[in-house]
Amino acid sequence: MGLRDDLRRFEEVGEERRDDLADFIRYGDLGPSDAERVRIPIKIVELPEFVYDFRDRGGVGEGDPEPGDPVGAPEPGDGGDEPGDTPGEHGHYEMDPAEFAAQLDEALGLELEPKGKAVVERTEGAFTDRARVGPDSTLDLNWLFREALKRKLVLDFDESFMREVLRVEGIDPDTAYRWAREERIPVGRKWLVDEYADIPCEERDRWPSIETVEAELGRTPIVERIRREGFDHLPIRREDERYRHPEIVEERQKNVVVVNIRDVSGSMGADKRELVERTFTPLDWYLQGKYDHAEFIYIAHDAEAWEVDRESFFGITSGGGTRISSAYELAQERLEAYPWTEWNRFIFAAGDSQNASRDTADRVIPLIENINANQHVYLETRPGERAGLGRHARALTDHFEDAEDVVVSVVNRPDDVIEAITEILTREGEET
Amino acid sequence: MIESKPASVAAELEEPVRAARELAKALGLDPYPVNYWIVDYDEMNQLIAYQGFQERYPHWRWGMGYDRRRKQDRFDVSRAFELVNNDNPANAFLQESNSLADQKAVITHVEAHADFFKHNQWFETYGPEEPGATAMLARHADRIREYMEDPDIDCEDVERWIDHVLTLADTIDQQRPRPIRELSVSSPEEPDVTDDPMPLGEFDLSDEVRDALFGDEFDAGGDEGVVDERASESDVLAFLWAHGMQYDQDRDRAVEMTGWQRDVIEMLRAEAYYFAPQRMTKVMNEGWSAYYESLMMTGEGFAEPDELVQYADHMAQVLGSPGLNPYKLGMELWAYIENTTNRREVLERLLQVKGISWRTLRNVVDFEEIRETVAPPPALARITAETLDDLAQLDDQFVDEDALCRARSGTIDVDRYPWKVLTFSGLARRNYSLVKPQYRGFLQRVSDAELERIHRYVGETDRYGSIEEALAAVDYTAGWRRMQEVRESHNDVTFLDEFLTREFLEDRQYFTFEYSYLSDGFHAASTDYEDVKRKLLLSFTNFGKPRITVADGNHENRNELLLVHHYNGIMLDLDQARDVLERTFELWGRAVNLKTVVKQVDDGELKRARREQREPEHREQGLMLRFDGDEFSTSELPWDAVEGIISREYDGTQSPNWHR
Repeated sequence: MGLRDDLRRFEEVGEERRDDLADFIRYGDLGPSDAERVRIPIKIVELPEFVYDFRDRGGVGEGDPEPGDPVGAPEPGDGGDEPGDTPGEHGHYEMDPAEFAAQLDEALGLELEPKGKAVVERTEGAFTDRARVGPDSTLDLNWLFREALKRKLVLDFDESFMREVLRVEGIDPDTAYRWAREERIPVGRKWLVDEYADIPCEERDRWPSIETVEAELGRTPIVERIRREGFDHLPIRREDERYRHPEIVEERQKNVVVVNIRDVSGSMGADKRELVERTFTPLDWYLQGKYDHAEFIYIAHDAEAWEVDRESFFGITSGGGTRISSAYELAQERLEAYPWTEWNRFIFAAGDSQNASRDTADRVIPLIENINANQHVYLETRPGERAGLGRHARALTDHFEDAEDVVVSVVNRPDDVIEAITEILTREGEET
Repeated sequence: MIESKPASVAAELEEPVRAARELAKALGLDPYPVNYWIVDYDEMNQLIAYQGFQERYPHWRWGMGYDRRRKQDRFDVSRAFELVNNDNPANAFLQESNSLADQKAVITHVEAHADFFKHNQWFETYGPEEPGATAMLARHADRIREYMEDPDIDCEDVERWIDHVLTLADTIDQQRPRPIRELSVSSPEEPDVTDDPMPLGEFDLSDEVRDALFGDEFDAGGDEGVVDERASESDVLAFLWAHGMQYDQDRDRAVEMTGWQRDVIEMLRAEAYYFAPQRMTKVMNEGWSAYYESLMMTGEGFAEPDELVQYADHMAQVLGSPGLNPYKLGMELWAYIENTTNRREVLERLLQVKGISWRTLRNVVDFEEIRETVAPPPALARITAETLDDLAQLDDQFVDEDALCRARSGTIDVDRYPWKVLTFSGLARRNYSLVKPQYRGFLQRVSDAELERIHRYVGETDRYGSIEEALAAVDYTAGWRRMQEVRESHNDVTFLDEFLTREFLEDRQYFTFEYSYLSDGFHAASTDYEDVKRKLLLSFTNFGKPRITVADGNHENRNELLLVHHYNGIMLDLDQARDVLERTFELWGRAVNLKTVVKQVDDGELKRARREQREPEHREQGLMLRFDGDEFSTSELPWDAVEGIISREYDGTQSPNWHR
C-alpha cells in the first residue's frame, strides 16, 4: 500500500505518456538506450513548471577550462534544486528487450514464434503419459474404468422404454430403428428384432402412439439411471488398457545468433547510417527479447570485412570500395561456431546497393545460398533515389524471387523504417 | 506504512547518539530533540521518496522518485544517506546496514541539521509548531485519500487536480515573513486573500474574530469571481484558491470549485511553504552540517581511529561528487566565514597595538610567530588521562573545572571524550582555524584594502603595549559565534551574496558556461568573479526559477487571469510555460494570459553570425501568451507594455563572446 500504489500509478502514467513505439523507432533518440535497456523518451514525466530556458540560462561549473572550451550540457538540478534529482534519468521509460519485443508485437501485430533448436535437457516428468504396453503395476485403472464408463454411456439406452416402443400400434423393428436413430438412441437393429420376436402378439398394439409411451413412462436419462440402479456390468475392453509412464520433457533452448553487416564505405553517409541504425537496432532488441539466448555479430565492410563491437558499428566510416561478399565470407566463417542444428540464425546486411561488379552474382548469391539461416535480409538505403531498387538489391530480388528466407527491403526515409521491420519480421513468421 | 524500530533497539547506537548530542551542545549548537529510527534499505528508499516522512498523500510522483532511486542505486556505491526531517522533535533515519562509522557520521550531521532547523529564521516562517510537520503531512494524506475513495468523486479527477496545483507549487511567496495563512476561514466561499501576514495557524476562526482581524478586506472575493483589478499577488496559489474556478466541460463555462478542490489547493500550498525553507537554505544547511560533522568526527575524534579512514573516504566521495555541489560549496563558505572572522579578530587586536597601523603591520609583524602564539597549547591540543594536570594549569576560560574533577575521578572517560572537559572557548581554541595546515597563509593573505577597512573601525589604536598583550586578548570563539549569527539570519541568496567574495573564488575553479548558437552546445564562458557570482545567484534566487506573479484577476474586464513573468534577462522555457498555462486554466476556469519577454534571433542575423563566426545578436520582444481552454494565441507587445516587468537584478544580456 502507500508507496506501492504510487509506484504502480507512476508506471501507468509513464506508460500513457511514453512516446509511441513506432515514432520512437522512426524519429526517437536511440542514444540513451543500449543493448540491455531500451529507453524510450516519455513525453512529460515531470509536471511542467515555470522555468528558465535552459539554453539561455547557462550555468556554473567547477573545473579549469579555457573560455570557449565546450562543456557538457548543464545538468538539470544544478543549483537550488532538490537533492536526489538525477540528471540523465529524466523522462525515459525503461524496458528490457523482452518487454520491447512484446510491445512491438502489439504495436505492429507481429506473431513471431521463436523456434527452439538446441535440446538442452531431457527430463522425466510426471507419470502422465500412457502407452499400450508396460508392466502390470503401471496399468492405469482409472483410465480403464473411465473409458469403459464412456463406452457404456455411449452404448446404453433405456431398454424397458424401447421394449414399450415396440408395443406401439403399427411399429415394427424397422420403424422403431428409424425412429431411434432420429432420437439418437444407440439401439441396434438386431436387439430390436430379437425383442420384437419375444413380444406376444396381443401386446403389440398396447399403445396408440410413441408419444403416449413417452407420456406414460417417460424416458429416464442414462446418467440418472446409473445413479439410481447402478450397473451390473461395464463394457471393459482390452483395447482400453493403458500403462502409465513418465512424460519425457524436452527443453529446447531458443538460441539466436544475429549477424549485422553494414557497408561502411565512403558512399554511406550519415543519413544512410542513421537509417540502418534505426532499422537494425530495434530488430536486434526484438530478437534478443524473443529468444532465450541471443548473440550478436557485427561486421563492417568496404572491400574488406572485419568484425567490430556494437558501440562502434553504426559510427564507422571508411574509404575504399565495396565488396559485399567479403562480409558474407566472414559471416560464414564466424557462423561455424553456431551450428544450424542448434541456432536460429538471422543475417541482416545493409548498404546502398553498390557492389563491385560481378561480386553479387559470382560470390554473394552463392554464399547466401550456402549459409543456412532463418532469414537473409538485405536492407537497401538510398535516400533521395526514386528509381526503384539499386543493382545489388535488384539482383538479389530477381534471383531469390520465390525464396521465403530472403528478404530485400528498402529504407529511404525514417518513415520507411517501421514498414521494413514489419516486413522482415512478418516474413520470418510465415516461414515454417 | 513503514515500521520502524526506535534506536533503543540498537543498543550499539545509544551511546553515540547521546555523545553526539553532548558534543553538539559543547560546540555551541542547540538542536531540536531528534528521534532516531533504524530502518532497512527498502524503508530508507521509501522514506527518501516521501521526502523524509512516513506518510504522504497518494501520488504517482513519489513512485517515480522511488523508482529512480532504486534504479540509480544499482550504480551507486556510497550508500550512507542522511535523512532528517524538519519537525520538533526532528526525525532522523539510520539505515541498519550502515557501518558504525557511517552511522556516527550521519548522527553528527543530523544534529547540526536539527540545530539549523531550530535557529534559522527562514524556518520560523513555517516552523514545526503544533501540530507538527509529520502530523500535518499525515493529515493531508488522510484527507486526500478520503477524497480519492469517495464514491462521488472520480479518483483520477483528484489526481489530475493535484497535478495542476503542483505545477504552480513554486509560485508562492516564500520571501514573505510568516506566509502561511489559514485559508479555510469559516467557509470556502468567502476566502481570505488579504496580504495580512498574520499567521493564523490551522484552526477555524469565528466570524467575529475574522471580522475583527480583517474587517472589510474580506469582500475581495465576494461577487462572482470579479476580482479587484489592483490585485497583485506573488502567492499565485493563494490567489487561485481565493478567486479560481473550475472549468465545466459540459456547460462550457466556469463554475465554482468544489470543496475538495479548494481543500487540495490549500493543503498543497501549505506543504509548499513547509518545504520552502529547506530549499532556500540548501547550501547553508548542508554546508553547516558537513562542517560540524567534520569537526565532530575528525576534529573532536568522534570517529574512532579505525573508523576515521572509512569516514574520510566517504566524506571525500560526498564532497567530490561532480557538478556544483551544495555540500562542498557550503562547507567551504562556512570555513571561509570562520577564517575571515578569526583573521579580522586577530588583526583588530594587532592594529590596536601602539605604533602599528595598517601600513606598517606587515613590516612589524611576523605572521609565523603569530600563528605559533595563537596555536592551542599542547595541553589543550592533546588531552589524555595523563595530561589532566597540565590542563589544570591553563586559563580557566578553556577548561570546565567541574568536568575536569569528574575526569580525575574517572567518571568521565577523557581518553575517549577529551572534549568533555573543555568549555566552548576551550574547544574553539583547540580547533582554531587559522592554525590548521590547510589555512596556513590565510592570515597574511589579507589584502591591504581589507587591512585598511579593519583599521578604520578600530577605536583605540594604543590599547595594547605589545603584540603579546594584544594576542592574549584574542577571542578564539569569534569565528564560531559569527557562524551562529549568520546561520540565524541568512538564506542561500543572501549567504552567497555576502560571503562568496573575490578572495573566496580566487582559490577555486568555478566558471560560467553559456549556450552557443554556432555549435548548438555549451561552452565555458567566463571565470570572472562577477560573472560566476551572478550566475550562481541566478540558480538560487527564487528556487532558481523565474518569478511569476498575478497582475490581474479581471484582465481586459473579462475575468481573465493575467500572470506576469518578471523578466531578468533570462527568458522562460516557453514550451513548459504553455503547459503550465493549460493547467492554470483548469484552476481559473476562464482564459489565462502570461506576459513575458523573449529573446529572438532572426534568420538573417543567424546567417551573418555564422559567416562571421560569432554569436548572433538577439532582440528582446514583449509577448502575451493567452490560453482560452481550446487554443493558444501569442501576440507581440509594444516595448512600453513590458518595461514594467523588467528587472535587471540579474543582467544576463551579455552574450558569450569567446569567438571574438
